[in-house]
Amino acid sequence: MLPVSVSRREMLSRCGVGMGLLGLTQLMGDSGLISAHAHAAESTSPLAPRKPQFPAKAKHVIHLFANGGPSQVDTFDPKPALAKYAGKSLPSTNLRTERRTGAAFPSPYKFKKYGQSGLEVSEIFSNMAEHIDDICVIRSMHADVPNHEPSFLLMNCGEPRLIRPSVGSWVTYGLGTENQNLPGFVSMCPGGYPLQEAQNWQAGFLPGVYAGTYVDSRNTDVEKLIEHIKNKTAPGAAQRKQLDLLAKLNAAHQATRPHDAQLEARIQSFELAYRMQSEASEAFDVSREPKHVLEAYGPGEQARSILLARRLVERGVRFVQISHGPVQPWDSHDDLEVNHRRLAGQVDKAIAALITDLKRLGLFESTLILWGGEFGRTPVVELPTPGSNQGKVNGRDHNHWGFTVWMAGGGVKGGQAIGATDEFGFKAVENPVHVHDLHATMLHLLGFDHEKFTYRYAGRDFRLTDVKGNVVKQVLA
Amino acid sequence: MSRWFALALILTCSSSSVAAEPGAKPSAAQIEYFENKVRPLLAEHCYSCHGPKKQNAGLRLDNAAGLKAGADNGPVVVPGDPLKSRLMISVRREGDYAMPPKGALPPAAVAVLAEWVKTGAVFPDTQGAVRSVEARDHWAFQPVKLPPVPAIRTSDQIRNPIDSFVLAQLRDSALSQAPIADRRSLIRRAYFDLIGLPPTVAQVEAFEKDSNPLAWERLIDELLASPQYGERWGRLWLDLARYADTKGYVFNQDRNYPYAYTYRDYVVRSFNDDKPYDRFVIEQLAADKLQLGEDTRPLAALGFLTLGRRFLGNTHDIIDDRIDVVTRGLMGLTVGCARCHDHKYDPVPTADYYSLYGVFASTKEPEELPLIGKTERTPQVIAFEKEMEKREAEYEAEITKRHNNAIAKLKDKDAIADYLRAVLDSKGKPNDQLLALLRERDLNRFVFDRWKAYLEKEIKANSPVFKPLIVISAIPERSFASDMAKQISAWEMDSKRAVNPIVLKAMADLKPQTPRAAVEAIAYTIAALPPDKTTTPEQAELFAWNKSSGPLDIPTSDYDKFQNRADRNALAAIKKKLDAFKASSPFAPPRAHVLNDNPAPFQPYIFLRGNQGNRGAQVPRQAPSITAPQRKPFTQGSGRLELAQSIVSPDNPLTARVLVNRVWSGHFGQGLVRTPSDFGTRSDPPTQPELLDWLAVQLVREGWSLKKLHKLIMTSATYQQSSVVSADAFRTDVENKLLSHQNRRRLDFESLRDSFLLVSGKLDLTAGGKPVDLFKAPFSTRRSIYGLIDRTNFPGTMRVFDVANPDQHSPQRFQTTAPQQALFLMNSPFVTEQAIALAARSDVSNAKSNAAKVKALYQMVLARNPTRDELQLAEAFVADNSAKTSFGKWQQLAQILLLSNEFAFVD
Repeated sequence: MLPVSVSRREMLSRCGVGMGLLGLTQLMGDSGLISAHAHAAESTSPLAPRKPQFPAKAKHVIHLFANGGPSQVDTFDPKPALAKYAGKSLPSTNLRTERRTGAAFPSPYKFKKYGQSGLEVSEIFSNMAEHIDDICVIRSMHADVPNHEPSFLLMNCGEPRLIRPSVGSWVTYGLGTENQNLPGFVSMCPGGYPLQEAQNWQAGFLPGVYAGTYVDSRNTDVEKLIEHIKNKTAPGAAQRKQLDLLAKLNAAHQATRPHDAQLEARIQSFELAYRMQSEASEAFDVSREPKHVLEAYGPGEQARSILLARRLVERGVRFVQISHGPVQPWDSHDDLEVNHRRLAGQVDKAIAALITDLKRLGLFESTLILWGGEFGRTPVVELPTPGSNQGKVNGRDHNHWGFTVWMAGGGVKGGQAIGATDEFGFKAVENPVHVHDLHATMLHLLGFDHEKFTYRYAGRDFRLTDVKGNVVKQVLA
Repeated sequence: MSRWFALALILTCSSSSVAAEPGAKPSAAQIEYFENKVRPLLAEHCYSCHGPKKQNAGLRLDNAAGLKAGADNGPVVVPGDPLKSRLMISVRREGDYAMPPKGALPPAAVAVLAEWVKTGAVFPDTQGAVRSVEARDHWAFQPVKLPPVPAIRTSDQIRNPIDSFVLAQLRDSALSQAPIADRRSLIRRAYFDLIGLPPTVAQVEAFEKDSNPLAWERLIDELLASPQYGERWGRLWLDLARYADTKGYVFNQDRNYPYAYTYRDYVVRSFNDDKPYDRFVIEQLAADKLQLGEDTRPLAALGFLTLGRRFLGNTHDIIDDRIDVVTRGLMGLTVGCARCHDHKYDPVPTADYYSLYGVFASTKEPEELPLIGKTERTPQVIAFEKEMEKREAEYEAEITKRHNNAIAKLKDKDAIADYLRAVLDSKGKPNDQLLALLRERDLNRFVFDRWKAYLEKEIKANSPVFKPLIVISAIPERSFASDMAKQISAWEMDSKRAVNPIVLKAMADLKPQTPRAAVEAIAYTIAALPPDKTTTPEQAELFAWNKSSGPLDIPTSDYDKFQNRADRNALAAIKKKLDAFKASSPFAPPRAHVLNDNPAPFQPYIFLRGNQGNRGAQVPRQAPSITAPQRKPFTQGSGRLELAQSIVSPDNPLTARVLVNRVWSGHFGQGLVRTPSDFGTRSDPPTQPELLDWLAVQLVREGWSLKKLHKLIMTSATYQQSSVVSADAFRTDVENKLLSHQNRRRLDFESLRDSFLLVSGKLDLTAGGKPVDLFKAPFSTRRSIYGLIDRTNFPGTMRVFDVANPDQHSPQRFQTTAPQQALFLMNSPFVTEQAIALAARSDVSNAKSNAAKVKALYQMVLARNPTRDELQLAEAFVADNSAKTSFGKWQQLAQILLLSNEFAFVD
C-alpha cells in the first residue's frame, strides 16, 4: 500500500463519476483528506454511504408497488354512500377516465374499524389492518391521467414520459448504500417485468450504478436472481487463489504507477465482488429463516419477495421495490371482487408480518414503507366494450382523480388518514396530495429538501419533483 | 468583436431604462422610491413564486424584463394606471387571483405599490442587463479566431504548436511536461485510441525496434487507415447520437427499429472514409435534401434524428429529443432548457427553442422506408420478399375483413338511430360537450362527422327522407305525442309529398310518443334492406344513403379511424408479428430510417411554459441566435438543410470547438472543456482556451478532416507524454488541467470485450449488418459495436460498465468502479470462455514447459514477457494443476491475466 493522501475531489473526479457527482461533496458536507489509500476506494465508491442534507429517521425504503391500480373504495377508503346508488347513476356525472363507466358499484367487501385510531379497512386486508395504528393512509392522492404507462412512470420516476431517474435511483444517489456487498437498489417483480419494464427503476441521466438491480423473485436460486453471482468454473478456494494471484500482479503494476485511485478502486472491486458472492447468496436465501417466520409471511411469491425485502433492508440495502407481478396485476376491469380478494390475499399476511418483523429487529423506525398503485379505480362500474373487458360489468376502470396510498415506519405518523375523496370516492377533494407531493414527502422523511436535492444535467439542475411538490407535513411524526 | 460590442451596448441601453416606458429615464427620486420601498416589498412577498427560482404563471417580478413581459396571459402592470394593473387588482384581492395567496398585504404596502404604479412603475434594472451582456460575452459564443502560437524557447518537447500552447501555460506553474512515454506505452495508447484494440507482441516489438524517425507517424497512418478505426470512433459518435436498435416502450407495436443498423454502418463508414465533418453533419440532418447520386446509402444518416425514444408517441417529446441531440450533440448548447422558459443562464430564449421546434414539426417519417444500397437478389432475399408480400396481403385482408364488419355494424338500425339522434342532439353544442355526448353514448367522432355532413347536405336539399328530422327536433318534448300526430296528419295531407311515403307510413303506424321513437322510425325504415333488385323510386330514395359517397361508404384506408379496441388489438398483434419478422429476418434488404418534409411547413408558436395548449407569439423557423448572428428565417421546406448549414458555417462559434474538444477527449480522457455537451456560461472554462481555438481553426482549414486532427494531436509531445504522475503534479494539479502528463485511462466496455476476443483468438472482424445479441450463448465474437442495443431493457452488463445510456444524448461516459463489473469478469461464461480459448491457443498449448506456457500467455495477453517474479508466481500457481477439468489452472491463469489492471488500463 502506498502511504499517500488523496483528496476527495480527486477521488470523485477520477474514480467516482466525473463532473456530475462532484455535487456530492456538498451532500457529504466534508472536503477533508482521506489518508489511507486502501480506505480510498471504498469511501469514493459512488455507492459509499452518505449523510442526507438533514438528520432523518428513515434510512431505507420498501416500496410495495401494487401495480395496475388497486381500488380505494375496496381497500382503505370506505364509501357507504355508494350502496345508496347501487346499480344507479351517481347524482354527479362520472368523471372522465380511460373507458366508459356506468352506475355506482358499492364495494363487495365489508369494512371494519381497527386499532386505537379506529380507521376503517376492508376485509381483504384484515391482517395488515391490525397494524393500522402504525399506518398513515393518504386518501386524497391524485395523478395526471387515467392511463397505466404514464402513471407508472409518474409514480416511479416523477415524470410521465421523459427520461428521469427513478425514486430509488435518486435515493441511492443521495444516500449511497450501507452494504457494499449487495446492490444498493433492488427492484423485484416475481414472474417478469411490470409494465414499462426497466424504466421503472431507471437511473436516467444519473450514472448507471444507481439504477435498480432487477430481481425476478419468482426464482429461488440466487444465480437466477443476480447476474453472474456464482462462479461455476473455479469456485470457492480455487477462486480465492485466483484472486490472490491477481492482487499480487495488480500490486506490482500499481507500484510503478503512483497517485492513481482508479487502479486501487478496481483492485478493491474484485474483493467486494468476492464477498458479494457469498453475502448475496445468503441474503437472497429465505429458506434460512426460521419456520415461524416463514409461516408468518405465508406462502407464495409475493410473500417471499416481501420477506426478501426485509432480509435486504436488514443487511443495509437502501431501496427495495416489489411490484406485485408482471405487467399490471391489480388492473381489475372484470371480476373485481374475485381478483382484488386474490391479490390482497397474496400480500396481506406478509405485509403484516413485515411490520411485525421490522419492529422486532428494531428497523421499523428507520424503514419507510410505501404501499400503493399508480392510481386507483372508479367507484362506478366499467361498461362493456369489446377488447377492453370481458363485458361482465363487474369491474372498475382506472381512476387518477383520487386514490389511496399508505406509508408506515421511518418518521411517519401512524394511525391517521390524510385527506379525503368526495362522497363516492371518485375525486380527491380534501387536502389533495399529488404524486409530486408524495415524492417530496418521501425525500423529506429521508432527510432531503426536494427543492435542493438536485443533479445538473444538460444545463439544468434537475429534481425528482421537477418544479412541483410540497411536503405533506401531516404525514410527519 | 465590434459586432458583439455593439450588441452589448444596445442591450445595456435598453434594459437599464424604465421597464414600462422604454426610453424615458427614471428620475433619481423614482429610483430611490423603488429601491427603498417597492423592491423590498416585492422581494418579501412575491419573489418566492415570481422570482429567480420560480415563475408561477410565467411571471417574474425581480427584474425589469420580467415585469415588462408580464404573466403568461399578458402584462400585469399598466404604468400610470393602478386600476387597470392586474398586479394591483390581485393584491387588492379583487380579481381572479388573490395575491399573495397566503394572506393579504397590509394596506400600507398596497398603497406603496399603488403609488409606484401610478408614477410609472419604474423598474431600474442593472442586474438583468449585466447578465445578458455577460452571457453574450461568454467565450464560447465569440467567433473562433486563430490565436498566435506562443513563443517558447526551443525545447525537445516541442513537436508541434499544440506543445507551445501547453508549455506556455505550464511555464507559469512550477510544473513541466512529463518525458515522452516508452515505445510500448505509445503503441498501446495509439492502438486503443484509434482502433480500440491492443497491439500484438509482434507489433509491439517491431515498433520498439523501428528507429525510423517517421515510425510514429507511419503507425498513426496505418491505424487511421484500418477499418477498425471507424468502429472505434463510430461507437463514440453513437453515444452522442443516443443510438439504439429499439424504440423503447411503444404499447402494442413491435419495438425494433429494423434498420437502425444502417445508420450505425453509415457512421462507421463515414469515419473510415474521413468524410468531412461538415458534410457528415449536413447528411445527418438533411440527407434527403441532397443530390446523392446513385449511392443513396447516406440517407441512413437521418437515423441521427429518427432513432430516439418514442415517449409513448408524444410528438412534442420526440421533437424535444431531436432538438436536444442536435443542439447539445453538435453545438454543446443546452437548448432544451428553453422549452418552458428562457434559458436561465445562456442566451437561448424560448423563441429559439420553438424556431427549432418548427423545423422538426415540419417533418414526418414515411410509412414505407426507402431501400438503400444494392441488394443482391439471392434466393433467400426473393423468398423473404415473397413471404413479406404474403404476410402483408394477409394483413390487408384482415383489415378489409374487420373494416367491412365494422361498417356492417354501423348499418344496423339501432346504430343508425344512435347517430341520427346524436346529430340532432348535439346541434349548437360546443366541442367539449359534443365529445362528452359521443363518449357517453359510445359513438365514434369520425363516423359522427360523416353522418353530420351527410345529413346537413340532405336536409339542405330538402330530402324527403331526412328533412322530417328537423321537424321532429323542433317539436317540444312536453306535447310531443299530440304535436307529432298532428304533424303526421299534415304530411299525409300534403299534396307535394314532402316526406317519403314509406317513411311517412312507418311513422303513422308507429305513432311515436317521443322524439327518440320518431327518429328510430326513420332509422329503422332506411336500415331495412330493399326487398329485391327492382325497387320503386320511393325505395331508391330511402336507400340512397347506402350508396357510394354515403356516410358509411368509408374507404378501407380510413379503417383505423373508427376501430374498436378489439379490432385495434387484433390488428396491432398481426402488425407487430409482421414487423418483428421484418426486423428479425437476415434477408430483409436494408432501408433507411429517414424523415421527409411535410408539403406545408409548420409555422411555430411559442408554447407558453411548454404547454402546447397555451400559444404565445409566432416565431419563424430559424437557427438559435447565439449560434448564427446573421440568421435569417428558413425558407426551404422545414429548413433542416439551412439549419445544418448554419451549424457548420464558419460563423457558428460552437460547432468546431465542440468537435475538437470531443476528439481531444478521445485522446486524453478529458476534454479541454470538461463539460463536452455544455459550452454555456455555467460550464468550466477551457483549460487551454487558445489551444482549443487553434485546433478549431486547423480543423476547418484542413477541410474538417478528423483523421488529420487525430494525427495533429497524436504527433504532439503533449500526447506522447508518459502517464506517470509526478508528486508535484499530483499535489498542485490533481485534475491535470495543465497537461503535465498523459492520463491513464481505463478501457471502456467495448474495448475490454473486444480485446478479450482478440487475445483469445476468437475475434470476428466481420463489419456491419444486423445487430447481434452479445449476451446470449453461444456468445457472438463480433466487435461490441455490432451488439444489439435495446433501450427498453438495456443489458445489465452494459449498464454496470457505464456504456452510454441510449435514452438520450450522452455527452461523456461515466466512469464508475463497481463490484458488479468484477462479477462479470470473474463469473460470466463469456469471460471464462475467452480464458479457455486463450489457454487453448497453440502457442500456449504446444509450449513444452510450464515456463514457456506462462511466457506465451503473457505475450498473448500483455504483449510482453513475464518478469522473473511473475514467472515464479505463475509457475507456483499452476504447479498443482490436474489437467482433468475444463477450467484448470492454465485457464484460471489466463483469466487472471485478462482481469489484470495492466490489461484493463492504458498508460
